[in-house]
Amino acid sequence: ETWKYAFEEAMTDVQGVYAQKFKEEVEANSDHEIQLFPFGTLGESADIMEQAQAGILQFVDQSPGFTGALIPEAQVFFVPYLLPAKSEDLGEFFRNSKAINEMFPELYAEQGLELLKMFPEGEVVMNTKDPVEKPEDLNEVKFRVMTNPLLVESYKAFGATPTPLPWGEVYGGLQTNIIQGQENPLFWVESTKMYEVTGAITLTGHNNFTTAVMANKDFYDGLSDEDKKVVQDAADAAFEHILEYQKGLSEESLAKIKEAKPEMTISDLTEEQRAPFKEAAAQVEAKFIEMTGDSGKKILDQMKEDLKAATQ
Amino acid sequence: MTLKISTIMIVLLLFGFPMMIPLILGAAYGFYGLFGGFDRMDFMVQQMLAGIRPASLIAVPMFILAADIMTRGQSADRLIDMVMKFIGHIKGGLAVSTATACTLFGAVSGSTQATVVAVGSPLRPRMLKAGYNDSFVLALIINASDIAFLIPPSIGMIIYGVVSKTSIAELFIAGIGPGLLLLVLFSAYCIVYAIVKGVPTEPKAPWGERVAAVRAAIWPLFFPVIIVGGIYGGIVSPTEAAAICVAYALFLELVIFRSLSVADIYKISKSTGLITAVVFILVAAGTAFSWVISFAQIPQQILGAIGIDEMGPKMVLAVISIAFFVGCMFVDPIVVILVLVPIFAPVVDSVGLDKVLVGTIITLQVAIGSATPPFGCDIFTAIAIFKRPYMDVIRGIPPFTLILLGVSAALIFIPQIALFLPSLAFD
Amino acid sequence: MKMGSEDQKSEPHSEHYESTLPGVIGMFDNAISRIESVMLALGVMLMAVNTIANVISRAIGSTIFFSEELNRILIILITFAGIGYAARHGRHIRMSALYDALPPKTRKVLMIVITVITALTMFALCYFAVGYIAKVAKSGRVLSAMQIPVYWIYLWVPVGFFITGVQYALTALKNVVQKDIYLSTHVLEGYEEDEIEI
Ligand code: NA
Ligand code: NA
Repeated sequence: ETWKYAFEEAMTDVQGVYAQKFKEEVEANSDHEIQLFPFGTLGESADIMEQAQAGILQFVDQSPGFTGALIPEAQVFFVPYLLPAKSEDLGEFFRNSKAINEMFPELYAEQGLELLKMFPEGEVVMNTKDPVEKPEDLNEVKFRVMTNPLLVESYKAFGATPTPLPWGEVYGGLQTNIIQGQENPLFWVESTKMYEVTGAITLTGHNNFTTAVMANKDFYDGLSDEDKKVVQDAADAAFEHILEYQKGLSEESLAKIKEAKPEMTISDLTEEQRAPFKEAAAQVEAKFIEMTGDSGKKILDQMKEDLKAATQ
Repeated sequence: MTLKISTIMIVLLLFGFPMMIPLILGAAYGFYGLFGGFDRMDFMVQQMLAGIRPASLIAVPMFILAADIMTRGQSADRLIDMVMKFIGHIKGGLAVSTATACTLFGAVSGSTQATVVAVGSPLRPRMLKAGYNDSFVLALIINASDIAFLIPPSIGMIIYGVVSKTSIAELFIAGIGPGLLLLVLFSAYCIVYAIVKGVPTEPKAPWGERVAAVRAAIWPLFFPVIIVGGIYGGIVSPTEAAAICVAYALFLELVIFRSLSVADIYKISKSTGLITAVVFILVAAGTAFSWVISFAQIPQQILGAIGIDEMGPKMVLAVISIAFFVGCMFVDPIVVILVLVPIFAPVVDSVGLDKVLVGTIITLQVAIGSATPPFGCDIFTAIAIFKRPYMDVIRGIPPFTLILLGVSAALIFIPQIALFLPSLAFD
Repeated sequence: MKMGSEDQKSEPHSEHYESTLPGVIGMFDNAISRIESVMLALGVMLMAVNTIANVISRAIGSTIFFSEELNRILIILITFAGIGYAARHGRHIRMSALYDALPPKTRKVLMIVITVITALTMFALCYFAVGYIAKVAKSGRVLSAMQIPVYWIYLWVPVGFFITGVQYALTALKNVVQKDIYLSTHVLEGYEEDEIEI
């Protein structure tokens, strides 16, 4: 059988690397073949999600933040400081988190999706014109965010002026100074060349961009036990591959940026410097609970416990 | 399937069906074939709606509106009168000015359709009056507008840069050389055309008349200032610049020149909406069609069949050129870039091609394809705006296509046309 | 050149648009035409106002988060109100070179075939659009800034397809009943010379 798998990034980005490893594993251990559809080739994120829900696609990778339009609780991944800041704790967190491995699969199942894996894509950094070391440095900074209410709340809390701008206009907007900042995983700042039009990268440790791979539930339930195992094993193998791949990735992205643009200011904030940003998180948590009610609060609390467990 | 779909589409097109029908039925045939029936047709609707989603499309109705207000009012006439006083006595002067205006406007607005409208609406009547043939005028407007793809900021290059991991800054600079070369060649063709066809010239205007014309055009002269200043001053995005132009055009025509009434504005808005709909339904249908091509992995099959993996760099470039050229004849350029770039990426890497050069060539092909029949946004826009029959609109295109193809061939053999400027800037 | 409509015989301004259909159907047709033209004009104006408001609010340091979503709603509204309006006024783009070369009898038959197939296609799309909207409604997906259900913004889509289908069906009927060849319910085939007036 030929299975189709669509994702939100280019073939060489993290989601593409995961997808290629998944494909390689499935094809090595079964007679099935997987066709990969990177960013834009079958539509935008919401389009491929609908196609997967309808079973036109067997697999889809959509980041939980975007899934928030369907599953409000998934927006918990936009709440700052809920994920381990150190990369060595990440594997532990994602492998053992009860929120991720027990609570979210049920929510996804309600939408006709089998949640196969959530994995980290890389530390989200602030990418600005001028260096940022404290919330005051974000005063008067028009910071581009996606139009998600929690991201908007976060950057308000951090002291910036959150500004919506379609992604296609971000590069030009930074170049002409319509906006003075944007956030994305480090590898994304490198691969989309955003460093060409900005001057500073700040590691605040406030988030690690998380994404999720799902299968259409009817399709998955209809697989033989043997095929289910092939799929699960491939998802696990690709997960380990990504953790390994991630280890050097941030350093590598930074090195590439440094080489292309030596004058780029890169600040890795200390614990003290991060403290005021961490304080701002409370405001975002309140907003999240306001939006998602009890079930959101349960997930949020569980995430915090999982975080404690992973970082002890 | 590919052959059947293209046959159906071309037959329907030739027999005079509304142009959305070949695209919709072509896509529907694909959906029917892929899923063995009609139960997935709702996703054809999904893709049609996806086609008209991009935020950048907003620039099109906004520039149509601004251009129509300027043309029905006095702004456009005053601007063109001024230009004519300076170049009316030169053979082909008006045509060269039109080409230059399209290039400049397209460069800043970033939208080729908006350029067709904004520059074409006021200048086409003037060129007709000056004695140019309509098909030549339409072809000139469409093709000169497409130079905008190559001159920064170019949405096509941004998308290519993101998908292929290429420096957007280098791409931008690389596009300037071929873009200017095209403008020069188009201008040369205009002058030759004017001389061969004996297009009459006006007597040279005395300086007194020129000064008077400049003074009459002083208010509308702020349009370019607003667009360029707004964008480079960091106040507006290129898309928003279109809306600001609407505001300024309203201010001039309602308050300063008092040439239009509020009722006129209502009519103009309605006509803008109509033109927008006629063009966007085709963009929508084209997106559904391209989804079928992408989902069925048709490009991969074709490339496998012609054995691209065994080709040398120049052959690969030629295949890339042809693929993008053909793709853009049928489908929106942005979609073509998104679908085809990842497919070619491995072979581009393995033969060691310069990704900036590949990006420049792709952008050029996209420009050619969008202005080349049978399908193409800029052709549709011209038909909808100028209400001319399809054949009149495309009749004059071939000489321009030849020039464009000549420049593509030149780029493959003399990459320095594109790479010279970036090498100065970055090495 | 005038791009507006009131100066052309083929496309009277909506205030003067009189349906050529009899009785109640005619009144209904007039009403729909009026609604479509208001939606087109207001849609375009609102889009300009919305975009300008967004620029101004950003310049003074605040932001309108739903601006992009509002434009998305408007573009759907304009497109799907416009295709019906364009069908009514015979403004959809077509390539008529081969068609024009045919003798009148053949053209008449071909025009009936074209309008029937186009009408059927539009009705089919209307049906599929309803199916798609039902699916989106069931999923509960919301717009991220406005926090309203996504399917709301698509509701005009099947209506637009349906109205367009009706226009083409009526054109087919008109071609069967009348002697002349009609491009739409009240536009005769062929481009008019005065369209290139300055
Ligand atoms: Na441009
Ligand atoms: Na084309």
